[in-house]
Amino acid sequence: MSWQSYVDDHLMVDLPSGGKLTAAAIYGQDGGCWAQSAGFPALDADQAKILVTGFSDPGAVAASGIRIGDKKFISIGGIPGECLRGRKGAGGCTVKKTNTAMVIGIYDEGVQGGDCNVIVENLGDYLIGQNI
Amino acid sequence: MYGGDEVNAIVIDVGTHAVKAGYAGEESPKVYYPSCVGALTRDKTETRDTNGKSGQNGAQAGGRDVEMAEAGADASTTPKKEGEASKAGNKSDRDLFVGHFALNYRRDGMEVLSPFEQKTGLLNDWEIVENIWNYTLKDRLQIDPKEHPVLLAEPNFNTNECREKSLEILFETFQPPAVFLSKNACLSSYSAGRPTSLVIDMGHQSSVAAAVHDGYLLQKSVSRSRIGGDLLTECMHRSVQSKDIKVRPRYAFERTESKQNKGTFDVKELDDYKGSTTETYHKWSVEQILSDLKETVCRVSESVFNEEEHANIPTVTYELPDGTEVQIGSDRFKVPEVLFNPGLVQTFQDAQTIENMGVLPLQSMTSLVMESITKVDVDVRKELYNGIILAGGSSMLPNVRERLEREILEQAPGQARVKVIASQNVMERKFGVWIGGSILASLGSFQQCWMSKQEYEEKGASLIHLKAP
Repeated sequence: MSWQSYVDDHLMVDLPSGGKLTAAAIYGQDGGCWAQSAGFPALDADQAKILVTGFSDPGAVAASGIRIGDKKFISIGGIPGECLRGRKGAGGCTVKKTNTAMVIGIYDEGVQGGDCNVIVENLGDYLIGQNI
Repeated sequence: MYGGDEVNAIVIDVGTHAVKAGYAGEESPKVYYPSCVGALTRDKTETRDTNGKSGQNGAQAGGRDVEMAEAGADASTTPKKEGEASKAGNKSDRDLFVGHFALNYRRDGMEVLSPFEQKTGLLNDWEIVENIWNYTLKDRLQIDPKEHPVLLAEPNFNTNECREKSLEILFETFQPPAVFLSKNACLSSYSAGRPTSLVIDMGHQSSVAAAVHDGYLLQKSVSRSRIGGDLLTECMHRSVQSKDIKVRPRYAFERTESKQNKGTFDVKELDDYKGSTTETYHKWSVEQILSDLKETVCRVSESVFNEEEHANIPTVTYELPDGTEVQIGSDRFKVPEVLFNPGLVQTFQDAQTIENMGVLPLQSMTSLVMESITKVDVDVRKELYNGIILAGGSSMLPNVRERLEREILEQAPGQARVKVIASQNVMERKFGVWIGGSILASLGSFQQCWMSKQEYEEKGASLIHLKAP
């Protein structure tokens, strides 16, 4: 399966409580883009590095926020070593860490945060199971 | 998915001091009782010997069940009666007594236990928790849990294990159709009607400050202090002891009208109870009296408390249950001042024992708020200063709001506009978390967020971390 189809067929789908993610992507932890949906704010290498440090030390992103491209999210926490979650107004993002990559989902008003968490983190867990 | 209109959700908030529960959509909790329970180790041979040594009035010594039937109390949580509700049953060899009536009746050898672990502030005695939920749902609310979704309030610093355990017990034993767990700070924020705020919850065993942004708790902003209602009550205790007054609970004395002078009373201290009443029970009973004293006479000083200035304050009289009158003067202000100046704890008698009450630092309310705000994203801070919400029992002390606002104004950056919000109706501060839960569970937009029993069975308890971050 190509990475693009992971994004198109498994992330950008209809969610249980309605709506779809606004944008989603799978990036390597080095900042390299594996696949992204149209309209995903491109992540640059520095931002990727900050996210990776943030996984092990959420305190670092708590003060500066989660930055993805030109968007900034307020970090609401997450599970250390596994994921980061952020909010921006009525929307937010979920960044899930796998062995070598990160799965990112961004949602806006109309979508439940819990749904984004479920879809992004489930894909991440699957990739971890595949040693990716 | 659950329609908010047809079925009423139940909101339960188990705090370190009291349990609040009721139907979502209502203004205040129907059910309110202490969260401590009485525990009596069951006699191995199953005989109940309460005769002889107990020294109680003879007629009542016939056995616990009989006493309870007489009192008309709904206090029983013996395993046989619970057999239906809890499949696990009381595995241990103790009987638990939940609720006001049960706890206020003195029993030989009954210990008073809290479901919370002092050190962590988290639920850890799950048997007690299960008994509390059972008492709340079946005895007080008298509903069938299978018909009502349950919203539980949880501490801001709750661990994943604790959350999963709560879900497990709730779903396995009570089988509600759906459950949701919500952080205390988020609920307090809802009850104040603000999506973004800094909540300072002055609770019983500890005080917690946490920032909420758009209804979501900012995990890293949670700060805790050991200073809680119980510490203030203990300070009050020392203050009373220093006047050489002994606080006696109802069961420890007898008042008889003196034959010579009608109208005056002799108080005789009873000794019979000393052997059979446990230390924890005695401590709890004394604490209830002192807590009432604290709530009645204490006020927060409008400016920093100064011992000399307040030395001339007119004293207030408070009558203890045994008739002794206590005169409280400057301690009325000194005790609540501990909230803002923990150093004052040193000035009370036997200060060391107060300090050893826990592991958390003794941090003032002001510094808790400041610490919490500095741990948050810079963009949000301004909004937080503008919306600091007071919650918790100790926030009901008069003048807390004004004093906190004043202190924070001094420490906040110059251009920040500081506003401390507290409900005018003081009872709402005590029930703030519950009221927030009542609001949340009745919102139309919330109904899709519940975690259903089916989801629990299919995906396990860990799904809650994704659905309710």
